Amino acid sequence: MNPRAGERGPREAILERLAAAARPTTLPPPRIWPQAFADLATRFEQALTAAKGEVRRVADLAGAWETVDGILDEVGAKAVVANGEPPIAGMDLPARWPERRCHIAGACGGDLRAACAAADVGLSGAAAALAETGTIVVASGPTRSRLVTLLPPVHVALVPLSGLTADLFTWTAARNASLTADAAMPANVVLVSGPSKSADIEFTLTLGVHGPGRLIAILYDAD
Amino acid sequence: MTATLPQFRRRASVAIADERLQQALDRGTGNFRRARDVAFAELPDADGLRDHFKAIRTATLADLGTYLQRWEANASAAGTRVHWARDGAEACAAVVEIAARRGATSAVKGKSMATEEIELNQALEAAGVTATETDLGDWLVQMAGETPSHIIAPAIHKTREQAAELIGRLAGRVMPEDDIPALTAAARELLRQRFLDAGIGITGGNLMVAETGSLVLVTNEGNGRMATSVPPVHVAVIGIEKVAPDWDAAAVWLSLLARSASGQPLSVYTSIVTGPRLPDDADGPEEVHVILLDNGRSNLLGGEYEEALQCIRCGACLNACPVYGEAGGHAYDSPYCGPIGAVVTPLLFGLERYEALPQASSLCGACREICPVRIDLPRMLVALRRDQEERAITPWHLRWLEGLAARILASPRRLRLATGLLRWLQRPLRGRRGLRLPGVLNPAGDRALPALAPRSFRQMWAAGELEEAGS
Repeated sequence: MNPRAGERGPREAILERLAAAARPTTLPPPRIWPQAFADLATRFEQALTAAKGEVRRVADLAGAWETVDGILDEVGAKAVVANGEPPIAGMDLPARWPERRCHIAGACGGDLRAACAAADVGLSGAAAALAETGTIVVASGPTRSRLVTLLPPVHVALVPLSGLTADLFTWTAARNASLTADAAMPANVVLVSGPSKSADIEFTLTLGVHGPGRLIAILYDAD
Repeated sequence: MTATLPQFRRRASVAIADERLQQALDRGTGNFRRARDVAFAELPDADGLRDHFKAIRTATLADLGTYLQRWEANASAAGTRVHWARDGAEACAAVVEIAARRGATSAVKGKSMATEEIELNQALEAAGVTATETDLGDWLVQMAGETPSHIIAPAIHKTREQAAELIGRLAGRVMPEDDIPALTAAARELLRQRFLDAGIGITGGNLMVAETGSLVLVTNEGNGRMATSVPPVHVAVIGIEKVAPDWDAAAVWLSLLARSASGQPLSVYTSIVTGPRLPDDADGPEEVHVILLDNGRSNLLGGEYEEALQCIRCGACLNACPVYGEAGGHAYDSPYCGPIGAVVTPLLFGLERYEALPQASSLCGACREICPVRIDLPRMLVALRRDQEERAITPWHLRWLEGLAARILASPRRLRLATGLLRWLQRPLRGRRGLRLPGVLNPAGDRALPALAPRSFRQMWAAGELEEAGS
């Protein structure tokens, strides 16, 4: 990729061609498609359930933790990985689950990647949730591992009701409003809209191809 | 790779005679189409959204250089290393160089059309890097030594027995062919290890967002997420036309992409990559590279074929196309098949090599009808046929027949004379199921042409043998 001296590189050559074809233009103004959902939580539950995800609705954070306990028992989880973000950061997981191995991203030393590869359940919060599509938004950060929500066969997300927004349009609009010089985009953001799935063999739907085969969102009221 | 008229006919004939393939195509394209219609019916103003998206794509392409440079500046600021490639060879060389510098000997690949287009796997093999496709369909196709036959369902032509055989060979045990979940579980296990061992993850990209310098890719299985999160290096290859100015535009793009492709409101995973891991991130790739691929795209800007660059590769036109539905993807012998493939393949890789593709259409317009960007594919197919005529690429006998037909159809007298003559000439060729013309003269390939009726409509009308409609 090192052009000889005096020869234009590919970048300049391509940009020159693009400049030659450029015409004056204006983008259409942004349009918001208002979607009237009577209740965001209900719509979220319907959409995620339709996408083969699971939704548990509980009254408060204490109820959410009890639900997590129940899921871990049901799965028979011996090893759990978790993102050390709110509200998980406020809970002493090793004390709560002395019988399970726990690895918390951003709080434990050791090999996070190996822990995620061996874990039965990955536990995370959610940066936002989109009601229309039943989507959980997970982002990277110091306490937010990409692999916690990706490698284990089960992903459990704690989603506060206050994190719900109508759809992709309201989410990007809110993101635009909060975008300032020191609030840059995280390096990795994933919109998760169900468990990993494929229909590549004879159009037969199967779950858990590369990502988690079960996605469980626990909706709770943070107030 | 080529698709001359005889090649296309031969491949299509083989596909049409393959009962399993015909069932798979009917089922697959039918499922996609029905799901797409349901998903669009749920949108408050689907037509308005498509018009809006068309306006966005048109305006973006009109000033593509500006948006690409804005994207490049923001991506670079986030730590993404941006490469530009005029053609496939430059793009492959860039990837090989990154792999060599990192000492990577194994690569995992997420679903990507652009890397099919530049034949990256062959370039990596030649450089001693083993590349494993990780989209389940692409992986099956790779193990079988074949090429994808649908933009979003690459293994639409493979049966469960073939899948069981291919996976079983690698797993070293006999796989149950009637247990697709078990096949999937075996694939997960085999490919999981490849992900963990890989030195480099390679993906395509569905779009770039200039405003934040982000690369967006969508998958349902999670192969895109894995390839961008697990290996220490992520390299994406993406066509220069796939840029959205801002997140408002990106939201419109994403809300139409999966709905058009598979009828999902969003794909399961929409990954937004804005640079490598930050210094205090918990995990993630140390390097992110994006290779901006031209490979003939810039030639189309500003001309009558620019509209083809508005495509977002959803595959909806394949599912709507009666020709794709019978001939299947392999007849096109290009990474891009179906109606959009029939337009972009000759434009990017040469009309001479792909002379059959502009003809592989009935011009029924179903592709334009279903396209989320309302791309006028029939218009461009006709324009390509005109180019073929002007550049004398069409075989002599077809050009001669078309010229003759044009002269005859231009005059009622000539049409009357010609049909009278043909009615007499067709007698010895008339079979029970229509006309059987000798080989080269038959524009219908292997099929019979309908015979001319004993009396023409004009004759019957003149003789008062027809009742007026509605009377």
